[in-house]
Amino acid sequence: MKITIFNREICVCALLDTNSFMRKKQRRNEEKMKKKTVSMLLTTAILMTSLAGCGGGAQDTAGTPAAETETAQDAGGDTEEPETEAAAQTDSAGPVKISFWNSFTGADGDMLTDLVNRYNEENTDGITVEMDISSDFDSQLSTAFAAGTGPTMILSSSSYRFTYGDYIQDISDVFDKTDLDEADFILSYLDYCSEGDKLYFVPFQIVGYYMYWNKDLFQAAGLDPESPPATWDEWAAYAQKITDESKNVYGSGISYDYAYQIAHIMQRFGGLAVTGENGNWKANFAGNSGYIDFLNMYREMVDNGYNPLEADTDSMASAGQIGMTVGGPWVTAGLDTAGINYGIGLIPTGNAGDMNSVEVLGFSVTTAASDAEKEAAYKFIEWWNTENAQGSSPALEWSVANGFPAYTYSVQEKDEYKASAKLSAMSAANPDAPTDFIVDSSFPGINAVIADVIPEMINAVAFGESSVEEALEKAQTAAEKITANY
Amino acid sequence: MKAIMKYWNKPSRCAYLFLAPSVVLLLLFNVIPLAAAFGLSFFDVPITMNTARFVGLENFTAAFLDERFINSLKVTAVFTLMEVPLQVFGALVVASFLTKNTFRNKLFRAIYFLPVICSATAVGIMWKMILHSNIGFITAVLRSMGLGKINFLNTPGLTIFVVSFISLWRSFGISAIIYVTAIQQVSASLYEAAEMDGAGKVKQFFHITAPSIRPTFWYILMTRFAGALQIFDIIYITTNGGPNYTTESTVTYIYSRAFSSASSMGYASAMSVILFVVIMAVTVFMYRRMNRED
Repeated sequence: MKITIFNREICVCALLDTNSFMRKKQRRNEEKMKKKTVSMLLTTAILMTSLAGCGGGAQDTAGTPAAETETAQDAGGDTEEPETEAAAQTDSAGPVKISFWNSFTGADGDMLTDLVNRYNEENTDGITVEMDISSDFDSQLSTAFAAGTGPTMILSSSSYRFTYGDYIQDISDVFDKTDLDEADFILSYLDYCSEGDKLYFVPFQIVGYYMYWNKDLFQAAGLDPESPPATWDEWAAYAQKITDESKNVYGSGISYDYAYQIAHIMQRFGGLAVTGENGNWKANFAGNSGYIDFLNMYREMVDNGYNPLEADTDSMASAGQIGMTVGGPWVTAGLDTAGINYGIGLIPTGNAGDMNSVEVLGFSVTTAASDAEKEAAYKFIEWWNTENAQGSSPALEWSVANGFPAYTYSVQEKDEYKASAKLSAMSAANPDAPTDFIVDSSFPGINAVIADVIPEMINAVAFGESSVEEALEKAQTAAEKITANY
Repeated sequence: MKAIMKYWNKPSRCAYLFLAPSVVLLLLFNVIPLAAAFGLSFFDVPITMNTARFVGLENFTAAFLDERFINSLKVTAVFTLMEVPLQVFGALVVASFLTKNTFRNKLFRAIYFLPVICSATAVGIMWKMILHSNIGFITAVLRSMGLGKINFLNTPGLTIFVVSFISLWRSFGISAIIYVTAIQQVSASLYEAAEMDGAGKVKQFFHITAPSIRPTFWYILMTRFAGALQIFDIIYITTNGGPNYTTESTVTYIYSRAFSSASSMGYASAMSVILFVVIMAVTVFMYRRMNRED
């Protein structure tokens, strides 16, 4: 028999047959119910408040994304209300919280956290930067934007302006509203962050690819450890000399799985894969003699055993089994930890001439930010690039600690910067050399070229699925499909 | 308030209240996303979903003309046909040896179950390192034994077997434990009677154990099939679809289309719908077969 507690109480009362007890009980129950109702209402209110909080500050402070507001104003409609709102937000003195998303999950993420904490403690403007580091940054960002929210500020590749262009604000007034000196920023890097006269990113980190060579393996092969290859012919010749099958040592460490590495190398052989201008893009894969040379060289080195057919060559370099490789500044972390005696230099020049191909990572402000939040983000960016009394700045600290070349002349001139052999080597590129990476820097389809076209091409060649010419023809067709979209 | 309480106080009504959390979660995280994916598959939608252009069946047509998608379906089929039978029958054999609650058996059950509770990322990275062609432990051991240099993770034709093994190693424990529980429920009197009739252990296994745990067998078969057809994590961590896309499963490819910077949510959704139809067809077929046997 099923009896609820409530019914059982009534049964007990009936047995006792005391009316006063019943009345008391009823009153108590009513009081309990009232209390419960109040507590339920409070709980609901708290829950709703917290849920609203989850929606991001953008809704609270901005109401609508800035882009939408701008559009409304541009349309010449009733502009009074948005202006009033914006003014109220800007004028409202008091603490400002800004959200800051990025994907720095490694050791550099710890340093970034420390620096953000330092800013939160030091700044006297009442600004709090709430940073969220995520390994799934892309999905997080796209989901937030799709839901109409998003962070105030993000740290990402400048190529994100092609993917999330509708959600990133023009921040070209950052130099007017802060003490940052535009002339101090290396122009080619700023160009990377701009479209016409609009600036979407303030540089944060310059990611170039460099050549690393194992000096001990050079010495063992009878090569001068201080003279790395300057051309790709020398690279191939050195690779042959360094390779020692008995010790599992390979001269060359080019991975079929590192699309960025392949792209940096192949553009030295055959120039940019996509050139032209908006609406008139041209793919340059098929019949590109430079690319043919590169793919043939790679294939031969693999066939002859001078280059491993391996996806993960960075681990091998850290294990002292690779004579020469090409990679980003993060490669040094593994080499340093493993105690490898190595040198850093520029990637050998190929037939395409001098190049300084880089990817620029930068700070950007999203359309979810209100005016007040945008200004707070500007202040953080200003702090990042401003020297303190000791002549240091977070930008300098970051560059020296993580081994990324500077994007401002003032940092390049610092003694700590010059004292770093790594940074000096990385900054040795010809400043006049083009900085475009694999495609013209204004081509919006760069991600598709790197994610699909290049991997399919190199895999087909590496595993002998097709000839070099066939692989390039296929890459041409795939690249033309992409260029047709822009 | 009293009226509300009175209304919901009936068991037939309050049952809905107890069901509500599950139903809400199911709606939020299963039904709505499923419907949304189905809807998205008819549109050309970027990752930010701020624009949508109706394209009809274009995404579906493109999928069937996409070499990588067709390849991913083949890879998924090969993976499933390798992993599922090995898991379903292998776990059954192992479980039959671990049925008795002795200390040794409990220890082995724990050992087999250990990979199940490890994260796929940790498992993937571990196997990636120990199977590395040059610095991997297993590769070095095999080489020292004179078996030559085996490139486990970079050989088209071989790597899919390796990935299947890793996946099997990781999820094998859960199937074994489910079997052990099912076998322990089989009445001991059946075995005693069989023994008295002179049936050996093998005969007992085929004539008592196997028929008795048939529902469990079908359950494991169905869930493993559905799981294998959706394989993602181990492949993503160990090979990311390489070498030369020979281990690129359908879900890995869908993920790359949906969440890479060059994403196309509509196209990825169309492929998800195709995969959903495949999984549903397989599951319904098995379910009917199971019911017929019952």
